[in-house]
This record gives sequence, C-alpha cells and structure tokens, in this order.
Amino acid sequence: MKTCVWLMIILAVLFSLLPVQNQGVETSLGGEFWSRWTLESGKSPVNDDTIIKKNYFALERGYFDLRTTFTENTKARFTVDIFSTDLIKDGAGLKLKYAFVDFANLVPVPDLTLSAGLQKVYFGTIYDWDYTLIGKAPSDEYKLANSADYGVSFNGYLPAGWGEYALGLYNGEGYKNFGDNLKKNIRMEYLANLRLTPIPGVTIGGSYMTSSVERENNLADDTPNPAYQQQQLLDGVARLAYGPVNVWVEYLYKDVTFPNAAANDYTATGFMVMPVFSLYPLIGTDIQLVGRYDRWDESDNPADKKLLNAVTGGINFNTLHNDSFVPALQVQLNVTQKTYDADNSAAAYANQKKDALQAMLQLKWRFSSKIK
Amino acid sequence: MKHTLLTLCLLLGLLALAAKSGQITCSGSTTVLPIAQAAAEAFMDKYPEINISVRGGGSGVGIAALQNGTVQIANSSRPIKSKELSASKARGINPTAYAIANDGIAIVVHKNNPLKNLSVAQIRDIYTGKIKNWSEVGEPNLPIVVISRDVASGTFEVFNEKALGGAKVVATAQLLASNNAVVTTVGTTPGGIGYAGLGYVTDQVRVVPVENVVPSEATVKSGTYKLSRKLYMYTNGVAKGDINKFIAFIQSDAGQAIVKAQGFISLK
Repeated sequence: MKTCVWLMIILAVLFSLLPVQNQGVETSLGGEFWSRWTLESGKSPVNDDTIIKKNYFALERGYFDLRTTFTENTKARFTVDIFSTDLIKDGAGLKLKYAFVDFANLVPVPDLTLSAGLQKVYFGTIYDWDYTLIGKAPSDEYKLANSADYGVSFNGYLPAGWGEYALGLYNGEGYKNFGDNLKKNIRMEYLANLRLTPIPGVTIGGSYMTSSVERENNLADDTPNPAYQQQQLLDGVARLAYGPVNVWVEYLYKDVTFPNAAANDYTATGFMVMPVFSLYPLIGTDIQLVGRYDRWDESDNPADKKLLNAVTGGINFNTLHNDSFVPALQVQLNVTQKTYDADNSAAAYANQKKDALQAMLQLKWRFSSKIK
Repeated sequence: MKHTLLTLCLLLGLLALAAKSGQITCSGSTTVLPIAQAAAEAFMDKYPEINISVRGGGSGVGIAALQNGTVQIANSSRPIKSKELSASKARGINPTAYAIANDGIAIVVHKNNPLKNLSVAQIRDIYTGKIKNWSEVGEPNLPIVVISRDVASGTFEVFNEKALGGAKVVATAQLLASNNAVVTTVGTTPGGIGYAGLGYVTDQVRVVPVENVVPSEATVKSGTYKLSRKLYMYTNGVAKGDINKFIAFIQSDAGQAIVKAQGFISLK
C-alpha cells in the first residue's frame, strides 16, 4: 500500500509537470499535513471506572494538491487525501478528495463558474470550513453532507460583494463511493445554497439538499426495499465578524422518511455556535482563542436515538505567514467534552457510556509553490 | 454580565486602535509600488510622527492582506473582484476604493524594432500565438518572443481583459514577475514584445501605439488609449485618521506631482 501511495504521488507530480513542458500552463503544487496527538477518557464498558480510551499519535490527514491554470477561465484541481489508518496493514490510506475542472465565463453570467468532477459540496459551512477548530463542520460531523462528491455545480458570486450562491447535482454518496457502491441508489442529490452579506460583517445564508439512500425497490425481485430513505436536508448559517471577533452560528435540520417502512421515519436537528477571537491586533502574534458548542438532537430516530451536547475550547498558534497572511504552520490545542442526555438517548448511550473528554494537540503544516 | 462583555469589547477595540496609531502598512500591486513608496517618503518628511511601511507582492496579495487585517491599505492595479469583495465583507472588512493615478499599459518592443502600430486584434493574435513572426505585421523577418506577466499580476489581469479578451497566452511566452523584468527582458531581446505600466518604460524599449494611439496623458485620461486603467488604494471602509491623511496627500497636487514624477499619469 505504501508503494501505491508513493507511486500515486510520483505519477501525480509527473503528470502535473508534463503540461508545463508541453502547454505552458501554470501549475502549483501544495500540501497540508495534520500530525495529531489524541488523548481521550471515558467510562469503561465493563464498570463505572473512568479510563483512558485513546492515547496515540497519528497523521490524521494529509492533502497533496495540484492546481493547474490552463487559462484565466479554465482551472483544475487534483487533491489526494493521505492519512494514517489501521484498516490497511501498512498503516496508511489514500483517497481521492478533489478532481475537478472550473470553467469560468462559460455561461454568460458574471462571476459564475461551472465545476465538473469530484468537487466540494456547497452545503452549510462544509465547503469553506477552515478547521479553526480541529473538529469537522457540523453538517459533516452529523452526516448531513459529504465534504466532496462527484457531480456538477454552478457556483458564483453576487455583484458588489452581496454574497455567493451554488446549485449542484451530485451522486450523493460522497467522495469515497462510486461504481458498485452506487448501484443501490440511482437517484441524484440536488443542492441549492445561498449566502448573503447585506452589510460588512453580517452574513446569513441557507442550504437545501434532497438526498436518498439505497434503491426504492430491490433490483433482484422488484420488492419494496425497507431500507430506502428519502432525505430533506436544511442548513441555516449566520456569521458575525467585527474586528478580532468572529462568530459562526449554524442550524441543521434532517428529515428522513422510509417510504417502505414508515415507522422508521424521523427528524433530527442540530445547532452550533463557534466564537473565534483573534489576539493578533492586540499582541501582534497570530493566536486565536476558539470555543464551540454543539447540540445534536436525534432523539426521534428509533434506530439510533441520541441527544448530544458537546463543548470545545481551543487555542491556535499560527506562524510562518506568507504575504497574504496565510500561516504555513499551525499548532492547535482542543479540549472537547461530549455528553449524551440519558433521558433522550438509547441504552447504548446510557450511564455515560459514550460520554468522552478528549484532548487533541495538532501540528498542521502546509506549503504551496508554483511550478511555473 | 452583558455590561462586562461590552466593556471588555470596547476596551479591546480601543487597545487595537491605540496599537495602530502612527503606523500605516500597505502592500499589493508592484505597479503601484513606486508611487506608494515615493509618496510615503514625501509624506513621512511632512509628518515625521507617522511611519508608513510599503510592500509589493501583487494586487491579489494586497487585497488578501487587507481581508486578513494585516495591512490598512491594499494597493491594486485592477478593480477588486466579486470573489474578493464577498470574502472581505463576510470577514467584516469593507474594501473602499480610492483612485490614486491613471496608467496606460504600454506595449513595448526592442528599441531597434521599427514597428509603427498594433491593433488590439494583432496584440491578441501575437499573445495567443497566431502571429509568430514580425513579418506577419509588416516588419522584418524575425521570430516574435512573447513576454508576459504571471497570472497573479493585476497588470496581467487588466491586459488579459482589455487586450486578450480572456484568451490564453501562448505556451511559449515568458512569464515574468514584475514590470521591471518585462522591460529589461524586452530591451535585451531583439524580437521581444511585452507590456508594462507607463511608469516602468525606459530608453531600452520602444512604446508601440495601439490602434494608432500613443499612450500619453491626454489619451489615457480621455480613454482613447485602449489599454488605460486606474490605479487604486483600498482601505477598510472610508479612510480615517492618518490613512485618510496619506491618501488625501497622494490625491493632492503634491501627491499627483509624485505620480507624474514616477512616470504615471495624474488623476486631474
């Protein structure tokens, strides 16, 4: 597997260099690596003792990224995701994350881009989540949307900085699934996203997506498939930014219906608030203080009833900035307390069995340079 | 509790303002750089209590730095893009444009090249590789060496829009990182053609009229020269205090004299 990873990287570099020789396109090579120590404590599964459940170092994520500018209007991105995993005996995994081409000005609408390929999913905050905290975007964390998927989207900007929008058509299963994994679901996922900034520092927006899981009728005998799901997904976003303070608020709504097994229908709601305070204007050092509160209420789901409250506190130290003030190095320390409400969660979550106190210390480094 | 938080926020805001007093930082366009540097020197002579730091990096870099709150002025040789404006506003930054000079993007060739004129269509054909030899535009038989700016440059973006109509620059073009580099390279390359802000033109090269119009104060100001543009400084919201004083200085007669002395064209 390691050989495969390195072969992929070498091939990617070679393929990226070929057009430089032959077509004179501008290509940049970039990467980002997250090296993390995780320490987690929780209740023992056999008694009430609090025990250390996790204590390890890992390369949780590595992005290897090639961006090609064919012309001002045609640009491509290819990204592989490299990560530590014990699912593969060599200890490293590789996933395709992005592989898309952006066509600007193909449609005669100003600032509209058509993206085709394995690309971002413009839902909620997932598409511009910059990991100010180590944790994922809420819609990713609570499985409403995938961070990348195969499809086509139109995405653009409104005039005068009023905001941005996107319309998308995706497989719906995310970037890890294609081909055989999709045969059980022949319906596409439809997405609409709008974000408005009516006054500087105040952004509001929302996303709507329809999705489905599995096939309505079994392929073999055309009998109704009880596992078939239709999903309506909603997300509301608000962002307030003033000076060194930045506050994100996100609301999530998931409506799941089982047309062939109505008793399993459920709705789930979620809420996140994340304040970020930058100390840079005060002390001249790029340090951020971050907090986050999550509430995910899936207590209506008969198959996996749960009500989660999670609180995170974090501090980031950013250094080695480029001219645009993007740091090449970031050290993040996060502490998260996850608590499941006993009255509104299934037995699997009772007696604080899945409650956890987690500390993560992460060193993130990134690089980017133009090949030509 | 609410009052405590409010007081804390106000205190932090005042501290932030106090920390910045007397210090102006600006970065961005390499085209605007000589104007900003010369103006800053003259301004600091007049107001020694104010220190101005000027850096280049390119228009996009300056606007990104303004977005990130690390500079107070972003120098740009092009108008801000919708994407940049949207991202800025979402971060609570309200980029406000101040025109500080006019400029013409001069088409330059080697000083021994007798070329009399180029149309915009011919420039596009040269830069996209359809015209490969000077003989195709009535000049001696000599291969054309296309010299351009890197795509991150604001000058390239204006040139790309006004001369190329968004077309792709030929693969064999040399992409250089500054106006100076373009002029120097064209000056030492007999078949070379390049483009640069008027302020960078030297005796090493010849300026070629475009559509029979020579880039001059009159033709740039009137817009009859097709490749004319404005140069900007962007601030977060309406400029105030020392920043306003500095921009007002550049826009004043004294500041515009500096613009002219740097080879660019004044606003008035």
